[in-house]
Amino acid sequence: MASKFGLAGGIPERKVRPIWDAIDSRQFKNALKHVTTLLAKYPNSPYVLALKALVLERMGKPEEAFSISLNAKDNLFVNDALSIDDLTLSTLQIVFQRIDRLDLATECYEHACGKFPNKMELMMGLFNCYVREYSFVKQQQTAIKMYKLAGEEKYLLWAVCSIQLQVLCGNGGDKLLVLAEGLLKKHAAAHSLHEPEAVMVYISILEQQAKFGDALEILSGKLGSLMMIEVDKLRMQGRLLAQAGDYTAAADIFQKILELCPDDWDCFLHYLGCLLEDGSIWSDEAVNDPVHPPKFISCKVSHLTDEQFDSRISIASAFIRKLQTDAFDNSIRCPYLAIIEIERRKHLRGKGNDDNLMDGIVQYFCRFGHLACFTSNVEMFFEVFTTDKKAELLEKLMTSNNRLSTPPTKTLGLSISLFKIKQQLLLGDMFKSSASDVEVSCVQMFEMYCKNLSLSKDFDPQESMHGEELLSITCNILVQLFWRTKNVGYLVEAIMVLEFGLSIRRYVPQYKILLLHLYCHFGALSVAHEWYKSLDIKNILMESMLHHILPQMLSSPLWAELNSLLKDYLKFMDDHFRESADLTYLAYHHKNYSKIVEFVQFKDRLQHSSQYLVARVETPILQLKQNADNIEEEEGILQRMKCGTDFLELSNEVGSKSLTLNEDLETRPWWTPTLEKNYLLGPFEGISYCPREILTKERETSLKRGIEKKSLLPRMIYLSIQSASSSIKEHVEVNGSVTPDITLELKILLERFAQFLGFSLGEAIEVVKGFSNGERSVVSDSNLIDWLNFTVFLNAWNLSSHELVHPDRNERKPIIWNILDSLLEKYILEKIRTTEPQLCSPWSDIQLLMQLVTEPLAWHGLVIQSCLRSCLPSNKKKKKSGSVYQSSSNLAHAITDSVQQLSLVLEDVIKWISEWNRRSEDENMEGILFLLRKDGHDDGPGRVFHILETFISSMNNAEVGDRIYHSLKSWSPADVARKIVRGKLKVLIEFSAICESKLKLLQSLKQKVAQL
Amino acid sequence: MTTIRRFCCNDLLRFSSVNLDHLTETFNMSFYMTYLARWPDYFHVAQGPGNQIMGYIMGKVEGQGESWHGHVTAVTVAPEYRRQQLAKKLMNLLENVSDNIDKAYFVDLFVRASNAPAIKMYEKLGYVIYRRVLRYYSGEEDGLDMRKALSRDVEKKSIIPLKRPITPDELEYD
Repeated sequence: MASKFGLAGGIPERKVRPIWDAIDSRQFKNALKHVTTLLAKYPNSPYVLALKALVLERMGKPEEAFSISLNAKDNLFVNDALSIDDLTLSTLQIVFQRIDRLDLATECYEHACGKFPNKMELMMGLFNCYVREYSFVKQQQTAIKMYKLAGEEKYLLWAVCSIQLQVLCGNGGDKLLVLAEGLLKKHAAAHSLHEPEAVMVYISILEQQAKFGDALEILSGKLGSLMMIEVDKLRMQGRLLAQAGDYTAAADIFQKILELCPDDWDCFLHYLGCLLEDGSIWSDEAVNDPVHPPKFISCKVSHLTDEQFDSRISIASAFIRKLQTDAFDNSIRCPYLAIIEIERRKHLRGKGNDDNLMDGIVQYFCRFGHLACFTSNVEMFFEVFTTDKKAELLEKLMTSNNRLSTPPTKTLGLSISLFKIKQQLLLGDMFKSSASDVEVSCVQMFEMYCKNLSLSKDFDPQESMHGEELLSITCNILVQLFWRTKNVGYLVEAIMVLEFGLSIRRYVPQYKILLLHLYCHFGALSVAHEWYKSLDIKNILMESMLHHILPQMLSSPLWAELNSLLKDYLKFMDDHFRESADLTYLAYHHKNYSKIVEFVQFKDRLQHSSQYLVARVETPILQLKQNADNIEEEEGILQRMKCGTDFLELSNEVGSKSLTLNEDLETRPWWTPTLEKNYLLGPFEGISYCPREILTKERETSLKRGIEKKSLLPRMIYLSIQSASSSIKEHVEVNGSVTPDITLELKILLERFAQFLGFSLGEAIEVVKGFSNGERSVVSDSNLIDWLNFTVFLNAWNLSSHELVHPDRNERKPIIWNILDSLLEKYILEKIRTTEPQLCSPWSDIQLLMQLVTEPLAWHGLVIQSCLRSCLPSNKKKKKSGSVYQSSSNLAHAITDSVQQLSLVLEDVIKWISEWNRRSEDENMEGILFLLRKDGHDDGPGRVFHILETFISSMNNAEVGDRIYHSLKSWSPADVARKIVRGKLKVLIEFSAICESKLKLLQSLKQKVAQL
Repeated sequence: MTTIRRFCCNDLLRFSSVNLDHLTETFNMSFYMTYLARWPDYFHVAQGPGNQIMGYIMGKVEGQGESWHGHVTAVTVAPEYRRQQLAKKLMNLLENVSDNIDKAYFVDLFVRASNAPAIKMYEKLGYVIYRRVLRYYSGEEDGLDMRKALSRDVEKKSIIPLKRPITPDELEYD
């Protein structure tokens, strides 16, 4: 447009150039100077105003930018048509997008398109606006107009994709697909199609309507020839044929693909499925979560007759044998695994033969057992066997391993595979074995690792070494031994083994993840966090990997570290939401239509991420925790979060949303398969295999409830502060308007909160009252914090409500308040009394202790601060009128009592922490190392550690190479022990600082009460 | 044992075992999505039985005239699946797309001058060192621009090594 009119908004290009140059080189002050000069000459030019707004926004002045851009927009609407050009509009669009007012950009383009209905550039801009706003219907309407105007295939496909989006990501019904199909059909008949991606979309539209025959026709016709990658085309054809129920033809197609790509396992499964006329793989594909596809192949018991089944199976076997003979390279594994799968299918049909199945696995082991992926390749077949047969198979594998004569690296690989099978696949077996048997194999593995270090002595430090997995397996067994015996020495030993491995090569992410969880369990959270950082988890990896550290950090006092984790993660997610539509537009622009739906669906998936919602809720809660000792600052924060109303909205909505779980749980250690589960916290029991996909639904429900409950907190804290201050003045007036009924709203939220505890409000209140008689059977570690939070808010509500318990005017403290103080005292002191200040004591209790102080006690502190503030004579806002309390003196007594009681509790906590600190670091370090010293005892931890120490002292550099030799010589177990001590103490010291700050607050309150 | 298919967004949530490797960069979202939006045929993933991600390749096609070429931006394989020629399969796929679909003259890639194992692997796949780019990696380490001629470059002109090293600002493309 600019070129058509010659000038943007009638301004010569040479005058604008310096502004753009300055913006491009980020010299915004300079840009502003130029723009101001130009504005003097063209004060009403929408373009110059838009430029000014852009510069201001880049200078970090969004409010000013907004006002100027509104000005520009107004001028654009009133001025004559000359000022409407694409450059002005796109500049304004950038500003509006940056200040999150996409609607205004859209209005500008809508206005421009109204003025110039046939200008393609403007329509393209408008289409882009709708893409950014995810307005699929308007996108479709605009694209159709463009298509009618230009007749180009591209715009037709834009319209078709917009329709597809309405159906798949919006509220559009399936019927719309008929319209899309009709548009494509008409265009293709008249002009054909020219882009392979257009054909793909056409086929997907037909497939979504289950018109498989029509789709096949397109694919095999002239349009199909646009698809250049032959295998992709065949895969599509096979899929369509199978879905159409033409299994014979489909099997032929998959056979063809296998001839071209004999190592394509998916294709083999499709081939076999079609031969056996089992379409479940296709229907499951639609149902399964694409981010967590099942490990195991689902298949139906075939409806074929016995004869048919036998004949199909023999066809498959013959074909696979042929593939084996024809294979030109030894690395092709699919045909060998396929033989096992065929045996498994026979087994499912009741025609199996365990020996054949075992033979297949043994043969596969002899060929590929040395590969690191061997175990994961065959694990799915083990489910077929009984425990006895599993043992028999293991026996067979061991016998054949003994017979194999292979070079040392392969021998090592085979031994690792055998260990893994023993450990992972015969889980039951391993858990049934005696602890000492388990320990023996643990020792063997560690010895094998040390013995084989020489195989990698000349490797580049960046390269993976042979046998690295052995240390992960050793660690896993040591942790199991800890679970069995509760002897914490095994955990220390596991840590030593992994730290030893990382000193040899510092780039083994598996070790780092295991260590991270071990340090967490041990309470050395700061060390865990260091290892997490060393994994360099950034960008999208945060979505799949943050779960390793986030839950532990949320209940820790490492607030600065937690804050940066949350901030980085939310920034990544929010940046993506901001730019995702522009990237989708790129796919439109480059005619890669199949990516359009994919991008929008992915954005939706991330927006519904449970972790994202958790982070959104936990971020304000962290802020509230951090500032709870200063009510004015806390109120400022609450004001900035609209007094918690946004989160209340989230809480209301989350129940009806479906959440996505995007964590990569496969990377988690066995003892904590999900974020919520940690076997080590409970008694020892064998774990049986539990497919992770089954847990997904349960997790979604409990996560939703968690988010729903947590997001009530900011509002409840806000209302509690308000309610406490109105305990003195019944009707608080702010800025002349009466605030909504705080008491009523708080009551409604208390009702909701009580539901999360499993009670009605009335019942929950009775439970709380019962606490005073020592009746606490409903409280457990998992709901303790919730009960106390509830009691805090209940107390605050009770202060302003006449409904429940009227404060006995002769009592110094209302009953709920009394109960609350006693509960806090009881639970906090209980935690510190039951936890010895020793470095190896269980950490989960301490975690709970820290939560007690940083959550319910902190919120209660705010209520007290609020009460006190409203009692103080200096408070100008205070207006007494028929208060619940006749005078502030009763309240002052209540505050004094409470402050006194809580101060004593906090002093005890601080004293308890200082006990931890009393021993010297060396003493603590020795204490840890002592756990590993055998001193003549044969049982208990330390055997692996002994081998480790012996190895380091006896190794020579000719054997392990200079690099490994020197890194191990400079490595010291004592340093690791020190690291554990420091890590644990760091967390405690942070906690102590929090307690001290709270104590200081209470002391200052004491002084203020004295003024009353 | 591999199914090689187009990379899709959901794979970004499943590739942690590959990307935890310290030599594999995890780019920002717009980087991955730009490649997906512009060159989907150059972005493929290898998937094993049990649906694990084994590795992936991302690349693009760009250039003018006889410089029209395929470019390998990243190729990576998870440690568990190394030493199985998977990188070779992925590279062959990208070369085929460049050669047969886009009719490019050559395929190129950049590698750290110190990464001897990778250079050896690319040489085995038919790549030659075309030129050295001084301080290409974060202004510190030199990069090697390696090339392999495709069928359209009949005389193999594109891979005649340059005599002198160049600086990053002399590069024709980012």
